[in-house]
Amino acid sequence: MSQAGVSGPGGNIYDLGYQSYDGPRLGRRSATGALFRSALLACFGIGRGGRAKIVPIVLGVLVVLPAVLAIGISALAAQAPGSGGDALENASPVRFATYHGLIVILVMLFAAAQGPELFGRDQRYGVLPLYFSRVLTRIDYALAKTAGLWVALLLLILVPQALLLGGRIFVAPDPVTGVGKEIASVPLFVAQGLLTAGLLGSLTALVASYTPRRAYATAIVIAIFIIPPIIVALVGNLVGDDAARILVLLSPGDVLDGTNAWIYGTIPDGPVVASLALPGLVYLAAALVGIVGATGLTIRRYLTIRA
Amino acid sequence: MNAFMPLVGVTLRGLLGRRRLALMLLLVALPVALAVLVRIGGGGRNDASGILDTLVIRTVLPLVALVLGTAALGSEIDDGTIVHLLVKPIARRWIIFASAVVAAGLTALLCVPSVILTGLLTSGLGSASVTTTFAFAVAVLVGGTAYTVVFMALSTVTSRALVIGLVYTLIWEGVIAGLLEGTRFLSIRQATLGLAAALGGKRPGSEPLDPVISVAILVVATVGALLIATRQLARFEVRGGD
Amino acid sequence: MTEPIAPAWASAPAPPSDAPPAVVPALQLDHVSRWYGNVVAVNDVSFALGAGVTGLLGPNGAGKSTLLHLMAGLLRPSAGSVLVRGRAAWRDPAIYRDIGLVPEKEAVHPYLSGYEFALLNARLQGVPDPEGAARRAIEIVDLVDASHRPTGTYSKGMRQRAKIAGALVHEPTVLLLDEPFNGMDPRQRLHMMDLLRSMAAAGRTILFSSHILEEVERLADSILVVHAGRLAAAGDYRSIRRLMTDRPHTFRVRSSDDRRLAAALIADPAVFGAELLDGRLAVSTSDYAAFTHALPRLAAGAGITLHEVAPTNDSLESVFSYLVRR
Repeated sequence: MSQAGVSGPGGNIYDLGYQSYDGPRLGRRSATGALFRSALLACFGIGRGGRAKIVPIVLGVLVVLPAVLAIGISALAAQAPGSGGDALENASPVRFATYHGLIVILVMLFAAAQGPELFGRDQRYGVLPLYFSRVLTRIDYALAKTAGLWVALLLLILVPQALLLGGRIFVAPDPVTGVGKEIASVPLFVAQGLLTAGLLGSLTALVASYTPRRAYATAIVIAIFIIPPIIVALVGNLVGDDAARILVLLSPGDVLDGTNAWIYGTIPDGPVVASLALPGLVYLAAALVGIVGATGLTIRRYLTIRA
Repeated sequence: MNAFMPLVGVTLRGLLGRRRLALMLLLVALPVALAVLVRIGGGGRNDASGILDTLVIRTVLPLVALVLGTAALGSEIDDGTIVHLLVKPIARRWIIFASAVVAAGLTALLCVPSVILTGLLTSGLGSASVTTTFAFAVAVLVGGTAYTVVFMALSTVTSRALVIGLVYTLIWEGVIAGLLEGTRFLSIRQATLGLAAALGGKRPGSEPLDPVISVAILVVATVGALLIATRQLARFEVRGGD
Repeated sequence: MTEPIAPAWASAPAPPSDAPPAVVPALQLDHVSRWYGNVVAVNDVSFALGAGVTGLLGPNGAGKSTLLHLMAGLLRPSAGSVLVRGRAAWRDPAIYRDIGLVPEKEAVHPYLSGYEFALLNARLQGVPDPEGAARRAIEIVDLVDASHRPTGTYSKGMRQRAKIAGALVHEPTVLLLDEPFNGMDPRQRLHMMDLLRSMAAAGRTILFSSHILEEVERLADSILVVHAGRLAAAGDYRSIRRLMTDRPHTFRVRSSDDRRLAAALIADPAVFGAELLDGRLAVSTSDYAAFTHALPRLAAGAGITLHEVAPTNDSLESVFSYLVRR
């Protein structure tokens, strides 16, 4: 209730119209949703200055580029008489099965660049108590931020492939047959997209939540992606396939290569991975373990962090 | 120069933070662990040059040099604590020199034993193995110094030295300088590999740079970086804001 | 609690400068400006300082830290010159023999203990007995008990004192302090003020910045008032007050007959307001000198005894608020 103005012989209290809020309050769900939304926007630099948008825009353009080029080529091929168009399309290096291999490094760089911002800033500036003294719990905080990163990466992966899908449908002689031909690919690229976003996102979240210094977190994420394949290749050449088969499951890049190959029924891109010939389900299991484990450790970090 | 040892002392203590040190030890232990694995699992002796080339020189060495080089001065510039070193009647070049010595020294202290252990464990103690190992050890010493000092100079120029250094070593050295012949001269990695090859450590199938050119590149890089860093520090200004 | 010892050198006279007989001011700023792109942080500031304590007064954002950094050679002046004992401050490490800087924002290496920090400073300064100098400096700032703990565990006031110790080890003739009393408790503040006063009395130049008027009023011999990057006033604050002629002086007068005195005062052209308030007479005048002559004359002429005459808006606070509102 506002304090009404009061006056007396010695002094005056003025009614400034201050009111406390007594109305309904949105609950935990709404708070968590708001945090998720702000994390997602922050990944793309929305709501921040121009400099924060450089990396998302550049990487965003680069992931879409192969799709755009492929559509252009398909459109030209469709104009070629006879079945030359179809052959050209299948020979194109830009297909759903190969899209992962084309853009996974870009997605990883995006995660390495933007992830530490999400988790490191709050720790460095000591604002965690402000979050934890609200309705949302520590687990909500960890999950909302991680989910924001997941969805951002997922968008980065799915948007170009959706574009490719659209292009292929409309380049076909008529859209109905186009849809029929291409619809089978949708669950495939969505599945691989979910695995990629999930694994890269969770690992980045884990590293970033333990490493408030953002530059170090970026370096560590990149190192986790780049160093293991080198080791796996060396072990494969110098030790033997059995040891390599174990180590390959600790290499996120190779695991995703393996799941991609299993989903599409093709051979993995990396020569070492291909030569190991592990059943695809093993890669799937490794990816899922990685996602769950990393997320669990991230939650543990925020449950135990002092704030 | 009485002030030199205190400068070395304070830089050294700054670099030896627990987390950073643990991370670096993990990195330099990787090739050694791999060597053990290769020796036990791979059945006997092997040519170490593969590991030393791809894992150490191309990966571990630049990363260790990057972290230590950018942290030597960079962390002090970031915190603001460098002001206490600057308001002293000491020529700025001594501060640069002390930081360079500490950072490069630590890099060498971490990486050279790693090279020696990796090489000898992988290939045994035969003369060929010792030659290869020695060649790579010297290359890591000189190349590591060049890397570290260059990254330290980078940290006096920009506050984003770690990320830019990553881009340099992964993209420039990793992709571009390997592909385009003309740019090999601008790659510390290629110079280091060239030096190793000149002393007897060459990965079969690779085409290293000429040894004289390699040494020249490394020397020019190191000296140039020291000069640039000195110039930057002499003109150091605190960040704005009242 | 033992009283910390004031150092012998604090009362010892400052070493003679090698400057020619015409006295070179310890600090001299000549039309100094500093801008960052379009933002002007310091705007055409000129002053010269010698021995004694000067307070640099200004609201937050006025440019106090910028000025101190300029004087310490940590910023390049965009225009004008900053001279320390006749030498340019920018890019000349030799001046640091004579200067001690106590920065506000910049941290101390958290892994060094208080003593180690003072020792580092002593060694870098090339002091002949670094351990002794460090120990003395730590005693002066009353940090002996905590001096072996890392400064990362210190409270704000202790960190401040560690920085002061570091700046004192080489007995500088010029001491620049940025908000030095921030985070100090009253006892430490009094002790520090005594220390600075004794150093100034011995011929050293002390410049400290603050936005807290009581501190400046208590400690400074003269003040520099900065506002929005410009120097609003310089000198002894009471003299500055007298120069503010477009602002009326007010006095509180108690006499044997206030009402008659008020009537007599109003007739005088120097007075433009007299008010009876709470048993006292409040008089406003625009001309300080004329009023001080007129008041006793009028009172004597009317046969009124003056019991109390006191200026009411002569405080540093009113001076300051006037200066920053022009």
